[in-house]
Amino acid sequence: MTTPLTLSTHRRPDGTPVVTAVGEIDMSNAGVFRDALIRAAAADGRLVVDLTGVEYLDSAGLTVLFTHAAHLELIATPLLAPVLTISGLAEMTTMHGLDASTGGDSLQ
Amino acid sequence: MSSPERAEPADVLFPGDGEMARRMRAYPWRQSALGDPAGWPASLRTACRICLTSRFPMIVWWGEQLRFFYNDAYLPLLGTKHPALAKPGEAVWTEIWDIIGPMLTSVMASGEATWSEDLLLPMNRHGYWEETYWTYSYSPLHDDDGTVRGVFTAVSDTTERVIGERRLAALQDLGALAGRARSATEACHLVTRALGRAAADIPFAAIYLRRPGTDETILAASSPPEEMPVPAVSGPGGWPVTGVLRSGQPATLSDVAARFAALPAGGWQTSPAQAMVLPLPGETGGQTVGVIVLAASAGRTLDDAYASFLGLVAQQAAALINAAVAYQFQQRRAEELAELDRAKTAFFSNISHEFRTPLTLIMGPLEELRTRLVPGDQAARQELDVIHRNGLRLGKLVNTLLDFSRIEAGRMQARYEPVDLAPFTADLASVFRSAIERAGLSYEVHCTVLPEPVYVDREMWEKVVLNLLSNALKFTFDGAISVTLGEQNGQATLRIADTGIGVAADEMPRLFERFHRIPSARSRSNEGSGIGLALVRELVGLHGGTITADSTEGAGTTFTVRLPFGGDHLPAANVAPAAGPDLVSAAADPFVEEVLRWLPDGEAPLEALPPAAGARLRETWGPPGLAGLTGPTGPARVLLADDNADMREYLRRLLRASYQVTAVADGLTALDAVRVSPPDLVISDVMMPGLDGLALVAALRSDPRTADVPVLLLSARAGEEAAIEGLEAGADDYLVKPFSAAELLARVRANVELARLRNHHARWRAALIDSLHEAFFLCDEAGAVVEINAAFTDMLGYGPEGLPYRAEYAWWPAEDTEPEAHRQVGDAFGQLMRQSKGSFVAPATHKDGHRLWVAASFNEVRDPDTGRRMVVGTLRDITAEHYAGQREAALAAMGLLLSQASSVPQALQGAINELQRLWQVRRVLAVTWDGSEQPSVMSTGAEASWPDLPAPLRERISALRRQPPLSPDGGSGTGAPGDAAARDGRTGAVGITVEHPRGLLALWMDLDAARPFSAEDRALLALLCGYLGQALHRVHQTDQQRETALALQRAILGPARLPDGFAARYEPANRPLEVGGDWYDIVELPDGRIGIVVGDCVGHGLDAATVMGQLRSACRALLLQDSSAAQTLTAMDRFAALIPGAICSTVFCGILDRETGRLTYSSAGHPPGILALPDGRTELLEDGRSFPLAVQPGIERTEASRIVPARAALLLYTDGLVERRRRSMDTGIAEAGAAVHRGDSAAVEDLATAIMTAMTPDGGYEDDVALVLYRHPAPLEVTFPAESAQLAPVRATLRTWLSRCDLSQKMVQDVLVAAGEACANAVEHGHRNAPGEQIQLRAAATVTQLRLTITDTGRWKVARSANGTNRGHGIPLMRALMQQVTIEPGDAGTTVDMQLRITP
Repeated sequence: MTTPLTLSTHRRPDGTPVVTAVGEIDMSNAGVFRDALIRAAAADGRLVVDLTGVEYLDSAGLTVLFTHAAHLELIATPLLAPVLTISGLAEMTTMHGLDASTGGDSLQ
Repeated sequence: MSSPERAEPADVLFPGDGEMARRMRAYPWRQSALGDPAGWPASLRTACRICLTSRFPMIVWWGEQLRFFYNDAYLPLLGTKHPALAKPGEAVWTEIWDIIGPMLTSVMASGEATWSEDLLLPMNRHGYWEETYWTYSYSPLHDDDGTVRGVFTAVSDTTERVIGERRLAALQDLGALAGRARSATEACHLVTRALGRAAADIPFAAIYLRRPGTDETILAASSPPEEMPVPAVSGPGGWPVTGVLRSGQPATLSDVAARFAALPAGGWQTSPAQAMVLPLPGETGGQTVGVIVLAASAGRTLDDAYASFLGLVAQQAAALINAAVAYQFQQRRAEELAELDRAKTAFFSNISHEFRTPLTLIMGPLEELRTRLVPGDQAARQELDVIHRNGLRLGKLVNTLLDFSRIEAGRMQARYEPVDLAPFTADLASVFRSAIERAGLSYEVHCTVLPEPVYVDREMWEKVVLNLLSNALKFTFDGAISVTLGEQNGQATLRIADTGIGVAADEMPRLFERFHRIPSARSRSNEGSGIGLALVRELVGLHGGTITADSTEGAGTTFTVRLPFGGDHLPAANVAPAAGPDLVSAAADPFVEEVLRWLPDGEAPLEALPPAAGARLRETWGPPGLAGLTGPTGPARVLLADDNADMREYLRRLLRASYQVTAVADGLTALDAVRVSPPDLVISDVMMPGLDGLALVAALRSDPRTADVPVLLLSARAGEEAAIEGLEAGADDYLVKPFSAAELLARVRANVELARLRNHHARWRAALIDSLHEAFFLCDEAGAVVEINAAFTDMLGYGPEGLPYRAEYAWWPAEDTEPEAHRQVGDAFGQLMRQSKGSFVAPATHKDGHRLWVAASFNEVRDPDTGRRMVVGTLRDITAEHYAGQREAALAAMGLLLSQASSVPQALQGAINELQRLWQVRRVLAVTWDGSEQPSVMSTGAEASWPDLPAPLRERISALRRQPPLSPDGGSGTGAPGDAAARDGRTGAVGITVEHPRGLLALWMDLDAARPFSAEDRALLALLCGYLGQALHRVHQTDQQRETALALQRAILGPARLPDGFAARYEPANRPLEVGGDWYDIVELPDGRIGIVVGDCVGHGLDAATVMGQLRSACRALLLQDSSAAQTLTAMDRFAALIPGAICSTVFCGILDRETGRLTYSSAGHPPGILALPDGRTELLEDGRSFPLAVQPGIERTEASRIVPARAALLLYTDGLVERRRRSMDTGIAEAGAAVHRGDSAAVEDLATAIMTAMTPDGGYEDDVALVLYRHPAPLEVTFPAESAQLAPVRATLRTWLSRCDLSQKMVQDVLVAAGEACANAVEHGHRNAPGEQIQLRAAATVTQLRLTITDTGRWKVARSANGTNRGHGIPLMRALMQQVTIEPGDAGTTVDMQLRITP
């Protein structure tokens, strides 16, 4: 049984690619995740990753996200807040949804 | 509350769905005296609501008739009186209305509340008159207008507590009797007397003791005393005493009323209906010693608690009786041994004294007869000479025996003075010359001058030389005897060699043995006691010397005596300065007389002695001992005091022919000499240095002992005045120089004869006093001792030369070192001074320092001459009796100590501590050879091991093994440093061997030099060690039985490997053999649930363990059959009924679902399980409870269910964990709960250990304990291959487990990530280093903490994030998410340990 993860990509009206991940991201499927982000990233590198449906994210997933950190916009839930904050990713990227009170704030 | 009838007033007024609420709602109030509740005053309505909603028993009494309202909680109190709703109070509580009625009316009248605590209310609510106690308050209930209309009562039933405390007090009362009884019967009386004080609980008791060797019993005691109820004529009989005695099983009687018309009721209104007849077990393994009948009060049913109380009473009674029997047995043994010992001591010391008195009375008149004999009667003279010689011989034997008994008792009075040993020995040897030469032997004496003086006691040295010479002559028939004395190897060495018959080699070892005579040796005489050489060895030993013998059979024997120079090796108290010339004493007489008689022409008169020795013998007189024997006659003794040597020599020559003359040079020496032994006449010059003649006379006259000695003064001063002065001073005669020899001799003869006439009686008195067995003393009015006898000197070591002895006497114990003894003597002295007659016992210190106990009796007398008050008294040495008393105490103490020991090492340690205490020695060692490589050592001091001991000590202790057990070695003699025993290593220490269950045990005591270790001490040591040996065997046996039972118990106890989350303990009780019937079992059921059983069978030991095994197996089988807890116990009821001894076992049976935490359980009379909740509360599992097994066969058992919340701990146990004497079990349960909570952060194994430790009573568990502990959820343990695909499933498992731990969502996520990182690291490593290796994840929760451990088989570095920013997030994440992370790389793999504090 591999780690459950569904990845889908769509573009916003302004053309910004949005990768939506649902499931868990760990070292067993970090490669798939990495490939999906690389494929989706715009020419200027801009990328939105929606992690609202992710129940588990560990350092393997973080490593993938870090490679895009400079142009990344992340949508997550308070569940992932400790991992994103501790790793420093939250400071390097544009974050949405970490705070429970603004959890409903979405760019979709 | 959410019912649709909410609006109905009845539901608001009578809320709840309890029985009483329903009854009240249904009650037809409108038809009753109280009317429609709608019209009730608000206070009554409120009171009813409070009453119904409370869980405490409450009553409302209302109106004139005090009608009765009560709640559900009150139901059990009411018993069969229920239902009683709205009845008048008096109709409900008729039987106690006389007590509570007035109280209620007073509240109604005054409006003031009352409070009653523990009030006795005899009730009849269960069909019998019951003793109940209550604490309650009556508070007034007011009408709406303020008048008192009713009473509100909150009640608590304190019966259990009051009665529990009373029973406890009774048990304490019994316990306090320990050690008081001296016989079984006395113990029975003590017990029944104590039970008489507990009549409320035991209205009647009787103890029957087994008639030894039969199954019959005799009534030993009863309570009330002298009251023996007679069995009813048509009843089922009396007490089943014989049956219980034979079976050893208790019987409970419920037909007591039918058996006996009337029994004492213990103050209750009805006679006892129930009773127990219990066996009184003997000591471990022994026969039942008797039976105790204990009637139960009719005021209480004989329930479990009551029965166990009666069981405890029986146990206590048995313990007291057994202790008394053991005491008696020990006492008897101690008495027998002490008696033997006393007899021996008495024989040795008495026989000699007893011989001395008749001897004195033979020898005295004999001397008289010899002097008065008509010169011509030769035949009569010869016969008298025979009597005289044999008298002397007998005296010598008696004295030798006396010497021995003194040495034996450590009381040999030595006076070591520096002696020029060569001439002294030569003189002694010369005494034998004539006899030896007459025997046709050649005799050589070579005494070379020694470099320095040797310290010897003259009298003892004489005995040494004379005995050896006499021995040589006895066994030598031709050849030579030689005496050589000289210095050799720094010691004075005396050799006495003969060419006699010699001694066979196999007899050599016994040569010096007392009373040993070499069989069929050819000798000159068959006489002899076999004591001479033994005495010689002891005497030489006292001098710190040695004696050896070399012999060749047929060629001769050489004895070699070696003495050290100087006096440092001798006890300082006994060393004296040189005194007097080195003269041979009269002690030689009997020796020479004896050997002469062995020779062919025997019968030689004393005159046959060589002139030199003969003359010397006449120039002095013997010591008091012998003077007493030889009597006052023979040549009169004259003491001559003159400072002019020429004059002294002249006078001596003049007098020598007719008198025994002692000449001294000054008055003081003369005075001392007279005091030691008064002569027949003192001739003194008036003018002398120091004490002159007149002063000497005055001094002699002032002392009653010497007042009668006649004194003839010589003076150069002529004239009447001088003569008058002399005579006034008390002189008997006065002679002016120059005088003629004839005049002097005439005056001397006249004075001696006159004095002899005058002193005849006085001399007899002195001789008789001296021959008294008891020590005699005479005190003047100031308390100064002015006269003593020889026995006094023997006893205390102080001789007549020191007279007078003034208070405080020299033998008075010193105030600074022995204040108590000093005070005792002071009191005794006061008595002596104040009373006209009396007696006392007091301690005294012998001159050589050893402790004596004397019994004195005294009488006041008046001196007929002066009219002064004098005190005459006798002393008896009761040291032996005194120590015998102490010995009994020592034996009793040792017996008690050993009876309490529960292991061999404990018994041994206790025993050596006791020995150390008893003898106040520095250290006692116990060395056991148990077959292991080296002996084990136990010490009273610092710990010691065999290799630590000095080699010489090891040798000496090892040497003990060669001697028979229980015969003490060493420690003989005085124990003083100069003692012979000390030189060859016998003193300073005493050793003894005891048979040990595993081999041989040697005990070694380092003695204190100041304290002699006498023959009595040795006897006591042997006796104590005999006890010890027996006790060791007994304890060892019990130990073995206990080990067997314990092994059995452990073997049939629960599974070796417990399911996760569980811990279990079994601890046997600490007293011997107290393995009990407790057990636990944890069964993994086919459906994954866990069956948990904790049980307790009645009784202890192997029997109980066997029953336990059967119950445990049955219970396990039932659980595996898919039974529920209640079904299991119901089936167990039937099973237990079939097994003897299984009835009344208590069992807790539960089935736990580890996923949900649901526990369904049922309890057969078992103490409640404890649930320690994570919020700090404790809950008891008290539901689903019913009787112990098989007590009520056929009952349907119920079960209860409880969810064990996350991180809560469940503790199941047997009563041994929580039950303590004199304490409620609730206290113990509360303590156990607290102990569980204290371990909130401990893993379950550690927690189990902590609980067992925390609950251990001071002396260890008195009952055995089984314990099962579970913390929910059980720890998680997952093992998976090192592949990344495994991570998600492992996470899922962990997530499920975490959900059982009741944690916040965030905490769960943190743990998941941290654990995930650790697992990912391990997987990465597994891939790199050892693909396919296993990774283990372990997670465990306590109340306060979560702990995760991830173990892999690889080795990875902690800091490896150097290459790039990204892959290194794992460990920082772990550290950030968890409170504590440790990563331990090891050779076999890496372990990550993470902990997180759980916050509520």
